[in-house]
Amino acid sequence: MLEFFGRFHPVFVHLPIGILLLGCICILLSFTAKFINLKPAIPIMLLLGALSAVVSCITGYLLANGGDYDGKLVSNHQWMGISVAVLSFILWIIYQKVKTNAILGTIAAVLIVLISITGHLGGSLTHGSDYLTAPLKSGSTKGGSAIPPIPNVQEAFVYQNAIQPLFQNRCYSCHSSEKQKGKLRLDQEAYILKGGEDGHTIVKGKADDSELMKRILLPLNDEDHMAPKEKPQLTNNEIALLKWWIDNGADFKKKFKDLPQPENIKTILASLQKGESGAEQIKASDIPTEEVTAVDNKVLKKFTDAGITVFPVAQNTNYLSANFINAQSMGKDVLDLIKSIEKQLLWLKLESNKVNDQTLTAIKDCKNLTRLNLNNTQITDAGLVSLKDLDQLQSLSLVGTKITAKGINHLKKLKNLKFLYVYQTGITKADLAGIKKLLPKVSLDTGNYKVPMIAQDTTVVKAP
Amino acid sequence: MTRDELNAHRLIKEAHEANARLHSRRHFLKESAMGLGALAMGSLLGSCGNLFSSPQTKIAYDPAHPLLPKSPPIVGKARSVIYLHMAGAPSQLELFDFKPELMKMDGQDCPPSLLAGKKFAFITGVPKMLRPQANFARYGQSGALVSDNLPHFSTMVDEVSFLKAVKTDQFNHAPAQLLVHTGSPRLGRPSMGSWVTYGLGSENQNLPGYVVLTSGGSFPDAGKSVWGSGFLPSVYQGVQCRSEGDPVLFIKDPDGMSRDLRKASIEAINKANEQQYQEYNDPEILSRIAQYEMAYRMQISAPEVMNINDEPAYIHEMYGTQPGKACFANNVLLARKLVEKGVRYVQLFDWGWDAHGDNPNNSLNIGLKNKCRTIDRPITALLLDLKQRGLLEETLVVWGGEFGRTPMMENRNGIQNPFKGRDHHTEAFTIWMAGGGVKKGFTHGETDEIGYSAVSGKVDAFDIQATILNQLGFDHEQFTYPFQGRPFRLTDVAGKVISEIVA
Repeated sequence: MLEFFGRFHPVFVHLPIGILLLGCICILLSFTAKFINLKPAIPIMLLLGALSAVVSCITGYLLANGGDYDGKLVSNHQWMGISVAVLSFILWIIYQKVKTNAILGTIAAVLIVLISITGHLGGSLTHGSDYLTAPLKSGSTKGGSAIPPIPNVQEAFVYQNAIQPLFQNRCYSCHSSEKQKGKLRLDQEAYILKGGEDGHTIVKGKADDSELMKRILLPLNDEDHMAPKEKPQLTNNEIALLKWWIDNGADFKKKFKDLPQPENIKTILASLQKGESGAEQIKASDIPTEEVTAVDNKVLKKFTDAGITVFPVAQNTNYLSANFINAQSMGKDVLDLIKSIEKQLLWLKLESNKVNDQTLTAIKDCKNLTRLNLNNTQITDAGLVSLKDLDQLQSLSLVGTKITAKGINHLKKLKNLKFLYVYQTGITKADLAGIKKLLPKVSLDTGNYKVPMIAQDTTVVKAP
Repeated sequence: MTRDELNAHRLIKEAHEANARLHSRRHFLKESAMGLGALAMGSLLGSCGNLFSSPQTKIAYDPAHPLLPKSPPIVGKARSVIYLHMAGAPSQLELFDFKPELMKMDGQDCPPSLLAGKKFAFITGVPKMLRPQANFARYGQSGALVSDNLPHFSTMVDEVSFLKAVKTDQFNHAPAQLLVHTGSPRLGRPSMGSWVTYGLGSENQNLPGYVVLTSGGSFPDAGKSVWGSGFLPSVYQGVQCRSEGDPVLFIKDPDGMSRDLRKASIEAINKANEQQYQEYNDPEILSRIAQYEMAYRMQISAPEVMNINDEPAYIHEMYGTQPGKACFANNVLLARKLVEKGVRYVQLFDWGWDAHGDNPNNSLNIGLKNKCRTIDRPITALLLDLKQRGLLEETLVVWGGEFGRTPMMENRNGIQNPFKGRDHHTEAFTIWMAGGGVKKGFTHGETDEIGYSAVSGKVDAFDIQATILNQLGFDHEQFTYPFQGRPFRLTDVAGKVISEIVA
């Protein structure tokens, strides 16, 4: 019951702040001739302010007894609050008797300072002590990742380098030395293992039974969901990492390399190494994990001038996509240009009738190329030899070219190839079995689909 | 001087003085102090803007090259979008959402629980329930239900993700179409294609990045606003092309105007515009210069790309085109050609799907069946053709209307319509997507046993917009444009990516 009244503290505190500040400002203003008429109103302001300050102190005391708060911060806040109440009463009592402006002004100024400090301390208790300054710090954690980049991730400690920073940025504001909502502290090994009111915060080896994971995985609108709806949420990667850590025994000493790493954790660790936020990493798995240097803008400009569009496949990478659909020529200068970006080229559309076997020699060292479109070009079987070492290639489109089964032989080392489009080429049905044998993992699309003619295509339903 | 003259003299003098006061430096300073202060304040606050705003997607808008390709924030699965909109709202109950329970209820009065507190476009009083006016079967490995109205498309279900519980809050065509394409049922917001071309530019500088094609004999009810650019720079509005005759009107040089002369005149105009730009620094002038240059390049490339006649005969047969006529099949073939050439967003509208049952062409068993016959072959051919060219993986195809149709037969003004028809329905309808990184052979969402409302997997227009942007590499919550003092989004304050259908 008492704690119920205590919970009104955050509401009541705004009364003394507002009333006393106004009172003090009026005192200072009333020293000038223009505002002298304010004087009769001042005592009642001070009295109301002082009374509301007392009410705030009482509710505040009840709230602190409720238990979720502890530490120096509460005690500082408490004594500052009491001094505000006392000083405001003193000011009210002496206001009618003392006529010296200097004394009244000094007390009023001191009161303003005290109120500000008390208010700030109270705010720090509610929102966390770094709430005010967080936006000023560079690399604010609010929208981005809670875990800072880790230079050599396999050698790093799981708890110290990943889990602790995660707790620090997402949980400490309510669950550490300053505040212990639900009696839970997450800032030290002993406290974490002890857990909160409900216990079982972390069940070693069983993430699904751990209260911590259960709360995090509740729907956002659930009252018990953590972090609270209005606070920054854990990303999918962070949740996966936490689950992985608990499932593997929630060890506080081990390094990343000591724990078994399934495929999804490997991608997350790779992203930690680079410091990308989780949301991006999941979708960006199409990009090689190793980053390349950016291509000079002057080079890009040269492409644009030649009618070729070249641009990064996404804003967070230097890998490039190029489209030659309007290329004005395919001369030696253009081939040299291609060579200058051979490391960065990820997707390439060379769909232009100016492209021939000669052109393909320019891309033979584009080692990172994953998608290549050579539709409707003049290439022949001999040209495909230039592609033989492009082992990152996943999708190759040869629609409308003179390629035959003989040329496909050059592709046999492309172990990552998944899609091969050979519609309208020299490849016949008889070749399919051989290609399937050569490239067993590839989904081969020979196209030439037909939509059969049926009666409905040409007839119309008439009204009876 | 008479008294009147004196007064008139005084009045004139006073007017002069008042006028002079309005132009004095003293007056300017006095009256504008507040405004200047606010300006200064604004720029001060602006400089600490990052204190208050969340990280937003940066779009490098270059007015001189507004359509140059730009990178999305994250790697997108799709590079282009073909949106097939069946204007008038096709009946989900005769195409994809099979409800055997409706057969039993056929002809019975609609239960009052479905009518209480509801408002319909035309239904008044108590309508009768109406059984499905088509036969259904399961197709493909996914076992998706398709009616016999779409025999060709039924062979494609294993390429498609169905959204069976789409909901809207607009039951009139124009606002509902605006909501689907601009994120607001009212006029003035940029369309999805405008957002996409603003964010990504286009990979072909000789063609517009956002092309609109219409068929069915009429524009969509929402008019051209449904492909407008709203507050985005006007260069991003949809360019409506015709599917017969010149693709863009007046694109040919008139007789006697040689190509050289055209070039010279455009250079002269651009020179004048550049001078104007030096003087005023208005970026819209640069935009205008870029538009003139693109129009000049388009004169060569557009007629070539827009001409479907040079496609081989078997392709024409596959799509079921009608050369020389304006029809949906021609537009679909054109859409594939445009996407192949690097056009970012192709929007098709086919008008005439409003099956109320007030006349035979507006009925479920005559008009709707005939409309289905005009799209069945082309959409099937489109998916197959994109697939065999290796383009389906990177092209998102979306098919849908602006709302659904009621499980009840329409009784306009309380009188049953002469033909089988259904009224506008907002609670549940079907949209499907294919290619562009969505799941193959998948169905998301379910309606109740009579197809009246969503039971699970409910999505709305904002969710679909969020998903389309997601497939292109954008976070719809961070893809904004500053207008009237605040950042605007396509999805306004709503929308959630339908992650269930993302492959």
